[in-house]
Order: sequence, then C-alpha cells, then structure tokens
Amino acid sequence: MSTVARFHALLWGVFSLGGFIAAFFLPILIYINNIAYPLGLWPVTSKDPTRLLVINQTVSTLFVFAAVGGSLFHGIFRLSATLAELGLKKQEAKITALGYAIIAVGLLALGYYLWLLSPNIIPGLAPPWSK
Amino acid sequence: MSTKKTHYPEIPRKNLGPGWWLANRHYTVYMIRELTSFFVTAFSLIYIYQVYRLASNPGTYSQYLDTVRSPAMISFSIVALGFTLFHSVTWFYLIGKIQPIKIGRKKTSPLLALGINTVFLVIISFAVLQLFIVGK
Repeated sequence: MSTVARFHALLWGVFSLGGFIAAFFLPILIYINNIAYPLGLWPVTSKDPTRLLVINQTVSTLFVFAAVGGSLFHGIFRLSATLAELGLKKQEAKITALGYAIIAVGLLALGYYLWLLSPNIIPGLAPPWSK
Repeated sequence: MSTKKTHYPEIPRKNLGPGWWLANRHYTVYMIRELTSFFVTAFSLIYIYQVYRLASNPGTYSQYLDTVRSPAMISFSIVALGFTLFHSVTWFYLIGKIQPIKIGRKKTSPLLALGINTVFLVIISFAVLQLFIVGK
C-alpha cells in the first residue's frame, strides 16, 4: 500500500472514530451546556457546566477534548463531501483544503486552551507562565 | 491472447442540479443525514470559541454566557441537539449495516446494532452527568 493510500485510510479511520465520538458524546454536551444550563433544567444548577468540566479537571477535560475534537474532525470531513454533492464539485479541492486547515487550527486551539485551564492534563509539562 | 484494451461505451450521465436530493424520499433522508455534519461542525466551533473565551479572558466570560442564554442560541442548540441525535441514530444503524458481527452462522442486524448502541448512548450520557455535573 502506498504512503498516500495509507494516509487516506488513516484519515477515514479517524473520520469513523469521530462519527462514534459525535454520536455518543456530543448530544449530552449540547444538552448540559446549551440547553439545561440556560433553561435551568435537570441536573444542571446555576453553575456554568463548562467551568465544572474544564477548570483543573483531568478526566472531564479529556472528555471535552475527545468530544469536541472528534466531532470537529468528523463534521468537517463529512461536510466537505456533502457540499460537493450539493453542487460545489468543482470547488471540492479548495473546500477540502480549507476543511483540513480549520480542523488543524481548531484542534490546536482547543488543546492549547484546555491545557491553560487544566495544566495537569499533560503530566510533567506545565504551561510556560506557571514556572 | 490479445492485449488490446477494451473500450466500453460511456454511459450518458444526467447533469444533476443542486436540488437533486429533493426528487426522491430516500435521497432527501440521505441528504438530511449528511447535513447533520453542519450542526456537528457548528457546535464544535462554537464550543471551541467558548473555551477560548474562558481561557483567554475569564473577566469577560460572563458576557459570553449571556449569549449562551439568549433565545437565538437556545433555539439553535435545540435544533443542533435534534440533528446530532439524528446523526447518532443513523450512524448506529449504518454501522450495523456495513459491519455486522457474525455470531455462529448468523449475522447481527442493523436494528440490533441501533438498539444496543442507543442503550450505550443513554448509559454514557448518564455517566457523564453523574461523574462531571451532579452534586458539583
């Protein structure tokens, strides 16, 4: 198998994993952060759920990274193909390139800001200002 | 044996317009399923922005929470949750269809995969609530 084919297979594998992550993790994150919290529904109290999830919390911060990062990869990968099917076939290469750029920037930004909020997610490597 | 290349006649293909998926119920359901990716992507990007606001300027973060509480954002989130759940259900069914598990001589059905994975979805959702939210 060529390197390009292997890389392509890897991307499809990550896409599939992202599909599972979005299917299992995303609905509950949308519910607690954007529906239960603003509407005061069970079981969220008046405390902001995002603060509870990502400030100095290792496991829930990793959950947020997996849920949002996996969903972002899956969503953009699938949306690029869908836009081509909706008549943007000629622009497919540009859309795909833009999609990968958004995935890369999004994942780096998510990882970086979560690390700032929960430095203990990377054991032994604290953010620069804490030294 | 001849090594001559065989040329097959090209099948004439109809040029499909952007609204081709409205012509048939199956195509429409297919496209709605694919368009769940828009809501998955949009929520992911919005949430990354929320994490950025919290990490970069906790002082003005409460202003962002007013946006989260706005009727427009709540309406969008309810629609996004509906589409995300539709993604979950169709994804579980699809996985059962393309990757059935062989048990003896029989293969599992897509409906069984949908049922089992839906139970897992409920268990995972309750686990997330219990571990990270309830009582904090």
